[in-house]
Amino acid sequence: MESIRSGAGVPGRNRRQKRINVGRSERKASVIGGTTLALTGLKSFTSKRFLPGLAMVVAGGLLIYRGKTGHCDLYQAIGADTFHSGHSGLRIEKVLTINRPPQQVYEFWRNLENLPRFMQHLNSVQVTGEKTSHWQARGPGGLSIEWDAEMMDDYPGQQISWHSTGAAELPNKGTVEFTAAPGDRGTEVKVCVDYYPPGGAAGKAAAKIAHAINAQQLEEDLKRLKQILETGEIATAEAGR
Amino acid sequence: MRAVCWHGKHDVRVDTVPDPQLRNARDAIIKVTLTGVCGSDLHLYNGLIPGMKQGDILGHEFVGEVAEVGAGVTRLAAGDRVVVPFPISCGECWYCKHDLWALCDNSNPNSRLLEKAYGDTGAGIFGYSRLYGGYSGGQAEYVRVPYADVGPAKIPSGLSDEQVIFLTDIFPTGYQAAENCAIRAGDTVAVWGCGPVGLMAMKSATKLGAGKVIGIDSVPERLDMAHIECGAQIVNYQEQDVSEALHNLTGGRGPDACIDAVGMEASGTGIAGVYDAVKQTLRLESDRAGALRQLIMACRKGGTVSIAGVYGGLVDKMPMGAVFAKGLTLRAGQTHVQKYLSPLMELVEKKEIDTTFLITHRMALQDAPAGYRLFREKHDGCIKIVMDPRAPSRRAH
Repeated sequence: MESIRSGAGVPGRNRRQKRINVGRSERKASVIGGTTLALTGLKSFTSKRFLPGLAMVVAGGLLIYRGKTGHCDLYQAIGADTFHSGHSGLRIEKVLTINRPPQQVYEFWRNLENLPRFMQHLNSVQVTGEKTSHWQARGPGGLSIEWDAEMMDDYPGQQISWHSTGAAELPNKGTVEFTAAPGDRGTEVKVCVDYYPPGGAAGKAAAKIAHAINAQQLEEDLKRLKQILETGEIATAEAGR
Repeated sequence: MRAVCWHGKHDVRVDTVPDPQLRNARDAIIKVTLTGVCGSDLHLYNGLIPGMKQGDILGHEFVGEVAEVGAGVTRLAAGDRVVVPFPISCGECWYCKHDLWALCDNSNPNSRLLEKAYGDTGAGIFGYSRLYGGYSGGQAEYVRVPYADVGPAKIPSGLSDEQVIFLTDIFPTGYQAAENCAIRAGDTVAVWGCGPVGLMAMKSATKLGAGKVIGIDSVPERLDMAHIECGAQIVNYQEQDVSEALHNLTGGRGPDACIDAVGMEASGTGIAGVYDAVKQTLRLESDRAGALRQLIMACRKGGTVSIAGVYGGLVDKMPMGAVFAKGLTLRAGQTHVQKYLSPLMELVEKKEIDTTFLITHRMALQDAPAGYRLFREKHDGCIKIVMDPRAPSRRAH
């Protein structure tokens, strides 16, 4: 417990099956809340309210488990992680194998203006300098959001990482790794994005966007990237997506 | 154009709908000249596959003529006659490159739905629910075919639509089911279900070296067809105890391989049959697996159980103990039609296997609602219906 790092975790670490994905203060709150809920549930047995009582005991138990182990299945299911993303950040991690060589996948991604072709929430990415770019995204209800980004690492054929700069409405950073998949299977693309929704009214709007850019969205984005690189087009059916 | 549209359980209608359009560069539009009704269409008709919406166009067995191609299509041109495999496959992903076409990574835009249900997705399929992509089917005057350079095969001149239409699905499906049995010369192969796929499996098993094939069903004309057309010994499960009959037909060993050409709507017998019917009606069990249980019990030690019939979800009371104790091999899955298209087309062309005997009913597309009813009720000796999208209706409406 003493070794909890306050900053964002390094992608790829902590791959144990029940990995810690609940932040420290949240875990403490889980244990306290869970115990209270479980005790309340047990009390209601004495007044013969069995079903609600049982539900409270179960929910309380789950909260205690979450607090004690630091693992939350719900967080895992939605791809969230409040342990590795530092203060009030939200982490999304996705991985997909694309049947193309790492260099080719890297080059497609490195041309940042390609990103809106498969990332549905992006309106545009404009390259503004050697390392800088301007991003425009949309959220639910036509909400629009913009930010500037700077590339931090750029290892051709291997890895790109970036972070937002200046007064971004939704501060974020991310890394994408390109690794040769075993047995001639192409490239394992691993994307890791951290979002930091700020407080206040603007924060609420930003959090909505963060919600829209959730794990499922990123997974669908990666599938579209795979379709473009493997087949040259995005699969389209009459019924729509 | 006119198309057969799904409107609900036991409700299909011929609607006038907009013509399909090219949507991607690798698409082609096919003018359908002949289309079949498949046993698996009945699962949709009976409301057992989720993800159908009113107005969805049915049909995954069709042949036709190329009407229009996208800018990225190089192998086909307008006027080519083609047979189109039922799975939609991109030809570029790892699975397509390894001849596992029905497991294509890219062709199902709704892959997330199958990932939730099964852990991963399969290829899109024409006219087979949102789960399999939401593609419009080929029981229509026209159909859009994605990745047109990959799937469709040109029909050699001299072969009629009726001679090749079953290459879209049921012939390769029967063939793959037999191939999955790893037949050695002289093996006995028992086939549950003497419908079109079962009959194709029997023909294929013989072609692959089986010494004896046994067909199991209860519909007299299907058993007759298995006996006459496929040279099968037949077992009527309503008149005989299947296990005992198979025991006696195989010197007490059991069949070397058993093929399930029935799937999730087996007409169960006895207590287990009632159990399945009740649970499926109450949606407590999605698939009735009466045939599959029998297959597992009857198969000889170390034998193969090959599943061609469609299953959609969960099955109760699987005799896993028997699978384990007898060391059975289980093979299953949608058919990788593209893998078999060319070799089987050659068998048809050389007249080594003729599949037209299956056709019992030729109809106008316009009469599809009556056809579906007939097929479901197995009336009038109905084994296989093919429909001509442009023929005039023969029924009074």
